[in-house]
Amino acid sequence: MRKLEELEHKWFNYKIKTILMPMVKVSSLYLVAVSLYYVYDKKEHLFSSVYAPSHHMTKVLGVSMEANNSVMARVVQTEETKHEKMKKEEVAPSASSSLEKVSFAPVIPVIDMEKEERVHHVKKRVKTKRKHVAKSNLVKAKANAYLTPKELGVMGQSSANKVVSSKVQSVKKVPHKTKKMHFTSTRANYAETIKSKFIKSNNPRDALLLAKLYYKKNNFKEAEKWALSANKLNNSLEESWFLFAKSKVKLGKKHEALKILVSYYKKSNSTKAKALIMQIKMGKI
Amino acid sequence: MNSSYEELKNIFVDIVDNSTYVELDSTAYNYSVLKSSLDKPLKMVLLYGKPGTGKSMLLNRLYHELKEYREIHYFNTPILSEKEFLKSIYEAMSGEEIPAQMRVNFDALLKYCLKLKEQREVVFLLDECQLYSEALMEKIRLLSDTRVVKFVITLHKTDKEDVIAKEHFKTRIWEVIEMSNANEYDMELYIQKKILNKGLIDFFKTMKKSHFKYIYGHTLGNFRETNKYLYTIFDIYEYYEKNEPAKIDNKKFSKKILEMAAIRLGYINA
Repeated sequence: MRKLEELEHKWFNYKIKTILMPMVKVSSLYLVAVSLYYVYDKKEHLFSSVYAPSHHMTKVLGVSMEANNSVMARVVQTEETKHEKMKKEEVAPSASSSLEKVSFAPVIPVIDMEKEERVHHVKKRVKTKRKHVAKSNLVKAKANAYLTPKELGVMGQSSANKVVSSKVQSVKKVPHKTKKMHFTSTRANYAETIKSKFIKSNNPRDALLLAKLYYKKNNFKEAEKWALSANKLNNSLEESWFLFAKSKVKLGKKHEALKILVSYYKKSNSTKAKALIMQIKMGKI
Repeated sequence: MNSSYEELKNIFVDIVDNSTYVELDSTAYNYSVLKSSLDKPLKMVLLYGKPGTGKSMLLNRLYHELKEYREIHYFNTPILSEKEFLKSIYEAMSGEEIPAQMRVNFDALLKYCLKLKEQREVVFLLDECQLYSEALMEKIRLLSDTRVVKFVITLHKTDKEDVIAKEHFKTRIWEVIEMSNANEYDMELYIQKKILNKGLIDFFKTMKKSHFKYIYGHTLGNFRETNKYLYTIFDIYEYYEKNEPAKIDNKKFSKKILEMAAIRLGYINA
């Protein structure tokens, strides 16, 4: 009897084993496959060029479902990988040479904080002086040095002179030292700035800026790449679709460009997209 | 009522008994070859195969079928002592009982056989011949040369036994019958016939193709293993029937018990 209980116990263990083992095997195989995929994917990114080839990009922008999946896979890349990629790109001679060619006028919003502070300080001082003068002479002084005839009539000569002289003095007292700011904002520098900004922020708008920059410079390949990068990060950026399509047209891939735009138009129903399609069809781009 | 599972269990007790012989297509063919070979002028017939392929069963059946019609003797257990073996041969042939202190001289036995040439033909069925010594096998060979004594021997098929067979009997005219394990269909038929012979139809109906397949997967059609497996299955069934009847369903053959028996016999490493 005890032997049969033992046998039952063994059978129970055996059943658990037979049920669990296939599950464990399948899940471990899945894990291995997934990890292999990621290892392979990472390797591919490390040793290949930073951006995908153009034919791949065409697919990414929604021409085929397969490609869309690859877009998603690429978006999920780690920050580190992206950083490495960008670094590599900077080192790559082809990329740097293309950047040197850029001749787009940069618009960098730089604020001279020192100057701002100084002006603010002077204004404050003028205000306090004016208050002081008004209180002592009971005359409302204007911000400028000229007085109205009425004011001149009310005020005595001496007091008027005092106000004027104090105004001139206060203006003279403003410490106005001219500082030389060295802004060397060449086109290449600008591209570099935006690129480094993009690395830090990973903002699709920065990528779009770069795409615009290259498009204006007639470097359509680079424009196409950056438009794609922007689109990968945020595919709702209409401009990225348009720039990508326009670059394609410029690269002689009119058919591909139309395909992309049509697919975007179907998705978004954008009038701008429709207009661009018409323009491309008419050969205006 | 006697437990039906006990009855079923006893069907599969591994004994060499003519009443439990189950005729299958493959065994029927081997039997007919064996039977007809006895009528041919052959000195020896070799029946060989792996253990549990039904060699002993076939010899037993042959003995029981022919014992009424011809001089046939069956040594179901090997007689390893040469003295005893020769004594048994002589006693079987002469019908005399030799006193315990006396022994049979081999040359005298040979002469005795030669005297009976063309008068008698005595068949000896020797089981488990791989246990006989080479010297004794040589004597068997010499006795068969007289053509008065005909031997049907069984050997386990191993490399060693193949060598023995070749060395001792290659120059003799002999029939070789190789026994092998049953295929899946034959094994199912074997179980079916065994159960139905006892009239336990209801139980047999609960067994499905998958159950036979499972049994075959472990026994590989070996009759001895099949008997052992089914004996264990019904042994477990019997236990449940007597002690925990709620655990078994008489209308359904239990896969659990099938697996438990496999674990008990070591077919499954649990």
